[in-house]
This record gives sequence, structure tokens and C-alpha cells, in this order.
Amino acid sequence: MNEPIISVKTYAITYVSLLLLTLATTLLAYLDVGPLNTVLAIGIAVVKATLIAAVFMHVMREMMLVRLVIAGAIMWFVILISLTLSDYFTRAWFTT
Amino acid sequence: MSETIATGKPELALREQFYTTEQQREATTLGMWVFLASEVMFFGGLFLAYTVYRSGHAIAFDQASRDMSVILGGMNTAVLITSSFTMALAVHAAQRGHTRALGWFLLATILIGLVFLGIKFTEYLQHYWEHKAPGLDFQTNLTDPGAVEMFFVFYFLMTMLHAVHMIIGIGLLTVLLLRTGLLTLGRDYHSPVVITGLYWHFVDIVWVFLFAIFYLPGLHLR
Amino acid sequence: MLQTVEAPVSHNYLNEHQGIRSWLLTTDHKRVGLLFVASITGFFFIGSIFALIMRLQLLSPDGLLVSAETYNKMFSMHGITMVWFFLIPSIPNTLGNFLIPMMIGAKDVAFPRLNLLSWYLFMLGGIVALFAMLRGGVDSGWTFYTPLSTTYSTTYVTAAALGVFISGFGSIITGMNFITTIHRMRAPGLTWFRLPIFIWSMYATSLILVLATPILAITLLMIAVERVAQIGIFDPALGGDPILFQHMFWFYSHPAVYIMVLPGMGVISELVPAFSRKPLFGYKAVAFASLGIAVVGFLVWGHHMFVAGQSLYSGLVFSFLSYLVAIPSAIKVFNWTATLYKGSIAWDTPLIYAVGFIGLFTIGGMTGLFLAAIGLDVHVTDTYFVIAHFHYIMVGGTVLAYLGGLHYWWPKITGRLYPEGLAKISALTIFLGFNLTFFPQFVLGYLGMPRRYAAYPPEFQILNVFSTAGASILGVGYILPLVYLTWAWKYGKPAGANPWRATGLEWKTPSPPPVHNFEEVPVVTNRAYDYEAMKEELHLV
Repeated sequence: MNEPIISVKTYAITYVSLLLLTLATTLLAYLDVGPLNTVLAIGIAVVKATLIAAVFMHVMREMMLVRLVIAGAIMWFVILISLTLSDYFTRAWFTT
Repeated sequence: MSETIATGKPELALREQFYTTEQQREATTLGMWVFLASEVMFFGGLFLAYTVYRSGHAIAFDQASRDMSVILGGMNTAVLITSSFTMALAVHAAQRGHTRALGWFLLATILIGLVFLGIKFTEYLQHYWEHKAPGLDFQTNLTDPGAVEMFFVFYFLMTMLHAVHMIIGIGLLTVLLLRTGLLTLGRDYHSPVVITGLYWHFVDIVWVFLFAIFYLPGLHLR
Repeated sequence: MLQTVEAPVSHNYLNEHQGIRSWLLTTDHKRVGLLFVASITGFFFIGSIFALIMRLQLLSPDGLLVSAETYNKMFSMHGITMVWFFLIPSIPNTLGNFLIPMMIGAKDVAFPRLNLLSWYLFMLGGIVALFAMLRGGVDSGWTFYTPLSTTYSTTYVTAAALGVFISGFGSIITGMNFITTIHRMRAPGLTWFRLPIFIWSMYATSLILVLATPILAITLLMIAVERVAQIGIFDPALGGDPILFQHMFWFYSHPAVYIMVLPGMGVISELVPAFSRKPLFGYKAVAFASLGIAVVGFLVWGHHMFVAGQSLYSGLVFSFLSYLVAIPSAIKVFNWTATLYKGSIAWDTPLIYAVGFIGLFTIGGMTGLFLAAIGLDVHVTDTYFVIAHFHYIMVGGTVLAYLGGLHYWWPKITGRLYPEGLAKISALTIFLGFNLTFFPQFVLGYLGMPRRYAAYPPEFQILNVFSTAGASILGVGYILPLVYLTWAWKYGKPAGANPWRATGLEWKTPSPPPVHNFEEVPVVTNRAYDYEAMKEELHLV
């Protein structure tokens, strides 16, 4: 069976990295950097999510189809958010 | 120390609709990932609604976030990440056929998951006592009380939905633990462990984003 | 055209295991398909009763049959029942369940027990929704707009929403099952571009089921929470945004209409080649058009909100994208027509339904373009024009496709032929009744008759009377197949494996099929709709 098997060492390194990233995002959140706060928080969350997916969920060794499914899910969420927000962000346009 | 398919359920190794175990493994994995895609959209709807309100009331939401306990939230994040680690180790044990290790790691994941829920419940109680539970005598001194309450509406809704998923996950893991004990899971058949793992890690990923949007925004105001 | 043979082979999926438990605990995709046929037929007739009451009410301008409050409940429950408990599951869970494994040469779907679960979730959701309707009804419209649904309605909104929520999980599981099955269970040699177009359409539908339904689920959950816990999420008085509800609701509900029509298009793509005895024209274009409809269909939901209060910029973007989504549908209509051209046409009942679909769907689709134009939409939105538009698609389209498919595959499902003469009469009755019911509604809408009103100005009466007359004819047309298809199940002439002499793996196995569909794994070497190769095999004229 060509089921992806990842080593315990890789899991452990990922685990520690995730804890460190959690610490980092928490400490960084104390800084007052305006809109960058949100960017950093979400950005680090994305990195953590990617690590969990790639290593714990084996995506780095999985078939292309699985990666397509993930890409599709993310893309659909982006469509949902961006097209909806584009209504709210343009309410002020075209007003008389 | 590897065990092959256990006694009593040899037919589980290959279900009759499939021709090869490879086909079965790929189909099962694909099926779980497609389901997780639907879950992305399920939670995604709430993330959308949160974002819409946040973009309209950014200051109020940040202020509301100050009432969250970053200690408890951070602890819970570490707890959940640890449970993902033990889950990954459980899958690893299953793949190698180390049934005893599999059992212990499943048990560890369950217990750590229960710790998460315990901390969460404590937080909910604390919020209730501090009048931060919407609809239950909610009180705030902040300037935009409607928006502050909305923050907590989403906090409770999204973390409760997450908690429901955790409870389901713990239920699934308990079943897996029982099956491990009954020796119906082994080196040649362990896809239930793998796909439950996928589900568990996904629920962890959701929490990673919940932590970012509920616990972190108010910190820069301190 | 139809060939007849001796009585059906023993040991098929119908008689292999007997008794009610073998049906209620079945994991055979064919039996699950039949469970759904029974259920959705029941819900169809329940939904029709609500429509009947509405049409009777609208016979007279002052509408004295039922009160305005009751009328509100009628149109709401008609919509909820027909959308979620008939149209959404119709072709996917009946013909889809039955045919997908057979068309790809598989023994069953990837997850047979989940398949059964989706039927139970559907039934549970249906019972909960039915409970809400019988206990006192729902008056929020099938669209559950806030703040009526959350704050002001005193009817069983929460229960109805819960019923839909539960059955939604059945939809998601179905979609997941079909996607996995089509990816991983195709017979050797069956590459993507050799698949019947029905499979492409079902695949596209499944993408929508998986990605859109969860948004409906979360939106209905939020409605229920708002009602039960009395906290404002969409309530403007508490800082909520009712338009956010509409964005979330329509993000699902627009793709949902493609869940309803794509499978119908898939059926037509099977019927047209079979009854023209030539390959589908432009196979790849039709295949990609199915995916195109599914994808672009997610980008147009704001066309339901042109007058709701969304930004004008948003309106323009959604309008433009709505025009785009018509293109793949048009491609399909052109290609079906081109397939019929110079074909060896056999005017059997399935083809009558297919040709009816092509015409009525085209009218429905083109009137959709009228609605996509913001200027026109402002005039006809919330009028009978919109109602006529979507009924041309849902009834003139999906229902005709469902009936056409049901007739075409009835011999495979039951092993017996339906009575062709009676079937033709029913098809024509339905076609006539449908047009008499709904064409006047285009005119009524244009003239300004609003939808969801229990009464109307007297000058609209004559068109309403036509519409109600049409509805009664349509009703007769629906009852006929119910009777003769049931009759044919026991008393129809035995059909044989391939009474239509059509291409497709489902015709290469006995009728009714054995439990595991094929005695040996089929190996595919032909392209789809290969009537040339078949001519050589069967020495056809």
C-alpha cells in the first residue's frame, strides 16, 4: 500500500513549531501596528493550519486529487467572503 | 510486533463495493476530504458573518475582545495542538500495526480533548458571571454595546459549534478505542483511524482561526 | 423501436432479498434510489396540494377561499416542500443513485451505508418539516427572509428550518458519495471523456451539493438561534443586518437551482442521443459546460437582491456574471439541437419529454436573462414574471426531465415496459397543462401582478382563471404516470436488457439488474454514444 507514512520525528518538530507559532502570534498581538495586527494574526494562523494539514494530515504526501479538493474548498470560501464583502465595501460608492 | 487483520472481521479489510484495498483507501481518504471541504463552507459562513460585522465595527470588536482570557485561550490552543500530535502518533501506530501504542495514543487524545472542553466550559461560566453571555443579562460599559454583544454572539456561536464538533470527535475516538481493544483494527485495516484523524486535525485547524479572531484582537489595546 | 423478450431473470436486486427489513436496511444503491422515488413522489403530491389551494384562491380577485394569513402559509409550504423535499433530491437521489454505479461499471457507490443514511436524514428532515406544516404552518416564504422569519412571524419557522437543516446533511453526504464514486470506481478503460454526460452533470451537481448546502445549513441555524435565544444576528434593531441574511441565503439558493436543473440536463443528454441514434454533438463542450454552470453559478447570487439594498456596484457585477452563466446552458441547448439534426428520430415518450424540456427550458432561460438586466428586474421583480420564469425551469425543465428519465430507465429499473400510448397522452397533457398554467403568469407579471398576494385587481382575473385551468390539466397529467407506471411494474411487457438499443453500460446488464450490477467487470474501449460501433454489432438499419 502506498499510504503516506510520516516519521515521528517530523511530527514532533511540527508539534513544537506549532507551539512556538502560537506563542509568537500571542506576543505579536500585544504590539499596536494598526491593520497589520489582523494580517499577522490571520497570517500566522494560516501558517499553523498549513503545517497541520501538510504534516499531521499527510497532505505533503497525499494524492494530487486531495490537494485539489483543499484548493477548491479554500477558493470557494474566498469567493464567499470577497463577493459578499464587495457589496459592503462599495455601499458608499455611487451615492448622490 | 505488527498484527495483521484481527480475528472476527476479516471482511472489513476489503468492502464488497471495492476491488482492491488501494482503491478502498483512496476512496475513503478522498471521501473524508470532500466532507471536510463541506465543513470549510459550514464554518466559513460564520467566519463570513463575523467578518462583515467586524469590518463595520472594528473598534468595538477589538474592545470586546479585551474581555477574553488570552491565558485560557492560549492554554486551550496548546492543549488542542497537543491532541493533534497524539492523534498523529495514533495514526502512525496504526500504520505500523502497533495496536497497544494505538490504544494509548487514542486514549491520550480523548483525555486531552476532554481537558479542552473542560477549560472551554470554565470560560463560558466565567463569561456568564461577568454578564458577557448574549441574551442572558448581557452588560457592557463600552460605547457600542450592540456591536460588543454581537462579538460575543459570534464567540459563543462559533466556539459552541466547534465544541459540538469536538464532542463528536471524542465520540468517534472512543469507538475507535473500543475497536482497537476488540482487535478489529490493525496494520492491514486502519482507515477509520486515518479518517478520524483527518477530522480531528480539521477541528484543530478551525480552533487555530477562532483563537486568532477572538482572543488576539484586544491585546494591542492593553 | 422497442424490443420485447421473455419474463425478467430471477435473482435480481428486487427479489434477491425480500421483506420490509431488506428494504429499510438496504445498502444497494438501486433500492436506495427506489426508496427516494417513493418519498419524493409523496412530497410532490403534498406540495401540489398547497399549490392547488393557491390556484383555487386566485380564481377570484378578492380571494375568499382562504384568509391572507393562510395564503401566506400556502405559498411558503409549497415552496419549502417542492424545493427541498422534491426538486433538490429528485433526479440526483433517484436516477443518480440508481444509474451512477451502473453507468461507470461499478458494483455500488463508494459508501453504500452512507447512502442509506442520506435517505434517513432526508426522511427525518421531511417529517420534521411536515410536522411544522401540520401543526400550524410556516408563513415566512421558502426564502425565510429576516426579520419576518426571526422576529415577527408567529408560525413554526424554527421547526421548518430544522427540517430543512437535517435533510441538508443528506444532500451533502450524497454529493460526497457521488464525487468519490465517480473519481475512484470507474471500470477499466472508462476515462473521463468516455463517460456518459449524465455522469458529468451529476459530478457537477455534486460539487454544488458539497460546497453550497453547508451555507444553507449555517444560515438556517442562525435563524433558529435568533428566534429561540432572542439574540439579534440579522435584526436591525439590535445592530444586525437583514441583507447579510439574504447574501448567505442566496449564496446557497442560487447554486441550488443548478442542483435542480443540471441533473435534468444530464438526463436530456442521454435521451437525445438515444432517440436520434447518433452521438451527442460536441461532447467535450457539453461536459465542460456542466462544470462551467456549476462554477459560475456560485458567482451570481446577488441577482436575487437587486432591489434589496445591496450596492449598485455589486448589482452591476452580479448582473454581468448572470449573463455569463447563461452561456454554458445555451451551449447545451445548441448541442442537443445539433444532435437531433439529421438523426434517426424515434418519437417515443422519453423524447417527447426531452424536446419539451429543450423548448421550455429555453423560454425559462431566456426570461432569466430579462431578469438579469437590472433595469428590467426593477420592474418585474416580486411579480408573477419571476414565478413564471422559475417554473418554466423547474417544472418545464426539471420535472419533464425527471419524467422523461423515469420512462426511459423504467424498463431497466423494473424489467418491464410502460404502456407507450398512455404515456404519450400523459406527456402531451402535461405539456399543454404546464403552458396554460404558466405562460399567462409572464403576462400577469409584466402587467404588474405581485407575487405572494392573496388577492389582486379585477383586471387580472381572466389570466388567473387560465392559469388555474392549466393547473388542473397539469394535475391530471401528473396522476396518469403515477397510475400506469405502478401498473407496468407488475403487468408491463418484459423489457429485456436493452429495449431501446441504446449505448451505455447500464444497458449491458439484465433488466432488472442483479444485485451487484454486472456479472463480470466491464472493460470499456468505446467512446460515449458510439452508435457507429453499435450499428456494426447489431446490423441496424
